[in-house]
Amino acid sequence: MLKLLREVLRTGEATIPYPFQPVEVMPGFRGKPHHDPEQCVACGACAIACPPNALTMTTDFDQGFQTWNLFMGRCIYCGRCEEVCPTGAITLSPDFELSVMNKQDLFEQADYKLAACHRCGKYFAPVKEIEYARSILRQSGLPETLKTNACTLLDFCPECKRKNDVGKMVNLYQEKNDVTR
Amino acid sequence: MLRDSVTSLAVAEHSKYAIHEDPSAGKLKGALLKDIHRSVYVYRVDCGGCNGCEIEIFAALTPLFDVERFGIKVVSSPRHADILVYTGSMTRSMRVPALRAYHAAPDPKICVAYGACGCSGGIFHDLYCVWGGADKFIPIDVYIPGCPPTPAATIYGFAIGLGLLGQKLKATHHVQGEDERAAPAHSQIPYLLRVQIERESRRMAGYLYGKQIAERFLTIMEQNPNQVKEGMQAYLDKQADPRLAEIMNRLTAISDGFKGAA
Amino acid sequence: MTLLEEKPKIGTKYIAALRARFGNSILDESWQAPDQVTVTVPLNSLPDVVAYLYYEQGGWLATVAANDERPLNGQFAIYYVLSVEGAQKDSAPAENAYVIVHAQIPPHQPEFPSVTPKVPAAIWYEREVRDMFGIHPVGMPDERRLVLPDDWPDGLYPLRKDTMDYRYRPEPVVEDENYEFINVEGEGIVQVPLGPLHMTSDEPGHFRLYVDGEHIVDADYRLFYVHRGMEKLAESRMNYDQVTFLADRICGICGYAHNVAYSTSIERALGIDVPLRAQFIRTILLEVERLHSHLLNLGLACHFVGFDTGFMHFFRVREKAMKMAEMLTGSRKTYGVNLIGGVRRDILKEQRTLILQVLGELKTEVADLVNMLLETPNIVQRTQNIGRLEPQVARDFSPVGPTLRGSGFARDIRVIHPYCAYDQVPWHVVSKEGCDVLARTVIRAEEFFESVSVIERCLDAMPDGPVLTEGFKYKPYKYALGFVEAPRGEDIHWSMLGDNQKIYRWKCRASSYNNWPSLRYMLRGNTISDAPLIVASIDPCYSCTERVTVLDVRKKKATIIPYKEMERYCIERKDSPLKNC
Repeated sequence: MLKLLREVLRTGEATIPYPFQPVEVMPGFRGKPHHDPEQCVACGACAIACPPNALTMTTDFDQGFQTWNLFMGRCIYCGRCEEVCPTGAITLSPDFELSVMNKQDLFEQADYKLAACHRCGKYFAPVKEIEYARSILRQSGLPETLKTNACTLLDFCPECKRKNDVGKMVNLYQEKNDVTR
Repeated sequence: MLRDSVTSLAVAEHSKYAIHEDPSAGKLKGALLKDIHRSVYVYRVDCGGCNGCEIEIFAALTPLFDVERFGIKVVSSPRHADILVYTGSMTRSMRVPALRAYHAAPDPKICVAYGACGCSGGIFHDLYCVWGGADKFIPIDVYIPGCPPTPAATIYGFAIGLGLLGQKLKATHHVQGEDERAAPAHSQIPYLLRVQIERESRRMAGYLYGKQIAERFLTIMEQNPNQVKEGMQAYLDKQADPRLAEIMNRLTAISDGFKGAA
Repeated sequence: MTLLEEKPKIGTKYIAALRARFGNSILDESWQAPDQVTVTVPLNSLPDVVAYLYYEQGGWLATVAANDERPLNGQFAIYYVLSVEGAQKDSAPAENAYVIVHAQIPPHQPEFPSVTPKVPAAIWYEREVRDMFGIHPVGMPDERRLVLPDDWPDGLYPLRKDTMDYRYRPEPVVEDENYEFINVEGEGIVQVPLGPLHMTSDEPGHFRLYVDGEHIVDADYRLFYVHRGMEKLAESRMNYDQVTFLADRICGICGYAHNVAYSTSIERALGIDVPLRAQFIRTILLEVERLHSHLLNLGLACHFVGFDTGFMHFFRVREKAMKMAEMLTGSRKTYGVNLIGGVRRDILKEQRTLILQVLGELKTEVADLVNMLLETPNIVQRTQNIGRLEPQVARDFSPVGPTLRGSGFARDIRVIHPYCAYDQVPWHVVSKEGCDVLARTVIRAEEFFESVSVIERCLDAMPDGPVLTEGFKYKPYKYALGFVEAPRGEDIHWSMLGDNQKIYRWKCRASSYNNWPSLRYMLRGNTISDAPLIVASIDPCYSCTERVTVLDVRKKKATIIPYKEMERYCIERKDSPLKNC
């Protein structure tokens, strides 16, 4: 009994004063995912990695929009989005004060424009993703001709690229075997 | 493929079991809050959680966080409760007990959806044996996200529910601006070298510390491109962390051996 | 986990013994790891082979996994996983191996001879197989549902590959719960239901105690209120890396143990070499988890004997362990630091220094609290010879963790099948002969200090090198076991990889699953005021009790006692809630 009293006295006040004073979280705490919409290229890597589908991507091919959605109420704060993001647009902040009265306030959205294929005119990839790939190619240190070729290819949808390749192959085959004769 | 098949599924409609609140409930709740502010009775309804949330609520009651400071007390019967806290993704087995608890609590009452599962079903949101969150059946007043919410987040959530603090989070909708561009980081360093540094750093120290360490390394490289070794040594001497030195030395070796894109 | 050829096989003597005993009935053997072997037997010799391994070769039933392999080979399959540890009379040094008994079940006749009459430990597993696959165990004594809710339609088996999409939510077939509890007959017997919602932050579960006066005659329970369908989710929506985050959420207290068990099962199946540093970090985190879990249980032990000051102090000190977890992983609970092939966070100097400091504080503070707890005269009175788990019952039901070690078996997976870095640092297993609540409580207290020293030694001996392996080859339809000694006992995961980076079948078995069936025997013969204490002593992810129905057989009267009342009675031991019945 005396021991217990001594322990109680030794401990003193254990309670932290939150919410009257802010509470410190440990460095590296995984709180609210902070999305920098300017740095995001809408590539969708986060939506593929997200285990609970809190991050989703919806694509509107008619209007040419890709929408990034985050539902904070479903997020498990695992940080996989931060891990896979190629541009550093998502980081987990130390913010844990996320409670809301209105469910709608748990949603974040960002709309990105899609680029149309230079050949067939169909929307196929976010403009920012293509521009980002272009700037990386410039930075890549590849020989100038290769760079220019690769940059041109960025403007075509996968379908047209494939057709283009098939066309090239057919030409090659015809040249070799001269089938037209 | 799966996405298409779900439309053809006979998915049970949950809405016919949902409770619709009386329009006057809001006013009554306001009156309730005015009356109870230093004496709030809380009943927890575990609707199939993993226990993470339950124990964090428990931790909020214990000396370090001590929600009883605010008169918040956990009670053993919903009949005594002013606030019902729903945790868990609402499993099939818990639908009937959850509704029973709701009806047992006297009106007006405040219902809280606690944790990712309570708010939306969380990682289990679309499974066959869950309904996907408390608000499928119960009219919810406060959502406390987190997986699980920390005890401090729990206190914050209760403070929001009781009207003691204002809500911070707001829905956002960004629309891509004209000429909005994402800038590649460290544009002076060859892209392939940067990728190699970042990958090795992640392999050595994980995604978070790896990113911080790679960032530090690349910054030192950019600041004094001719004296990378010296700059690095000065930094490492200051940190005096043998593990950090091991990682940085590996990164230096990669950058020394880098031959360029060709 | 290097290539199979490099390491000698462990457990060949058991296979030789099986072949000598059953001859041509052993159709096939295949090795998944140096100490993991699957033998295929014909369906009708399944019970005999399992019983032989269990009772004559020192086997413990680890898990039973059924699998719908019709898309692969046209058959259902069932796997009985036994940890075979050698017969006690055997003078040869013990060899510990996982022997997995596998049999194929034809789809046109989906049934198999039940093993339960020979090995009682199989009872829950076989009930689960029937629920989830619609494969009938013939001769099984218990015909009730185990996992699926009461409002689930008959004849719909969620884990068959061709029955339903993982999102299919059938219309509820009943509006109320209709589970049939066992019927105990006898003069003066009263039924006490507890649950499914209750006061102390527990998961839902419904108990029914059968009492004569104050004495418990028998008990029955309906659990699985939390069945969500994770195994189906893992094989449908997710890829193998995402499942690690799902495994974290099997349990809010020992989630990381599940996470490691799952990751190691995949790594073993694929033959991935996990870097040594990652193994050390996993070990440290597993022990941090044990620290906060054991502190929680010790706190509850205080609570249930009416020593609430002690309870509050244990929880205050526990926050230091939570701070440590937050520092190491970024989250207090669901650590989320595993990927297949390693971990996502290193331990740098900053974390190392802080952990060593917190460990120092924890050691002295917990030592004081434990002394205080054990010196309280009340605690010994209330726990000695209460909730006895007799060694023979323990042997029959394969309980795990402190529950088993309290009954004199020094059985700890960390030693029997070393994983991560447990064979790299010195430590020892704690076991007690008391068979009672006191023994189980003291084991937890002593294990706490073992864990502290494991963490300290791991931090000292931590090797250099990477924390993650990447670029491994992915091989469909490989399978293996993963196992971890969680705070409550062993977690066993059996995983088979599928194509498209997904899991084909994931069977996870939590430690409490093995402890529940023997709880009935611990409760028998005690008074109802001790029931919450006994339930808490197996630490079933918390005392899974809440509201008690008391059924008096003599007076033909059922009384419902709120759990709070039961708990109060357990603490104060006066004014029996039954006195007016």
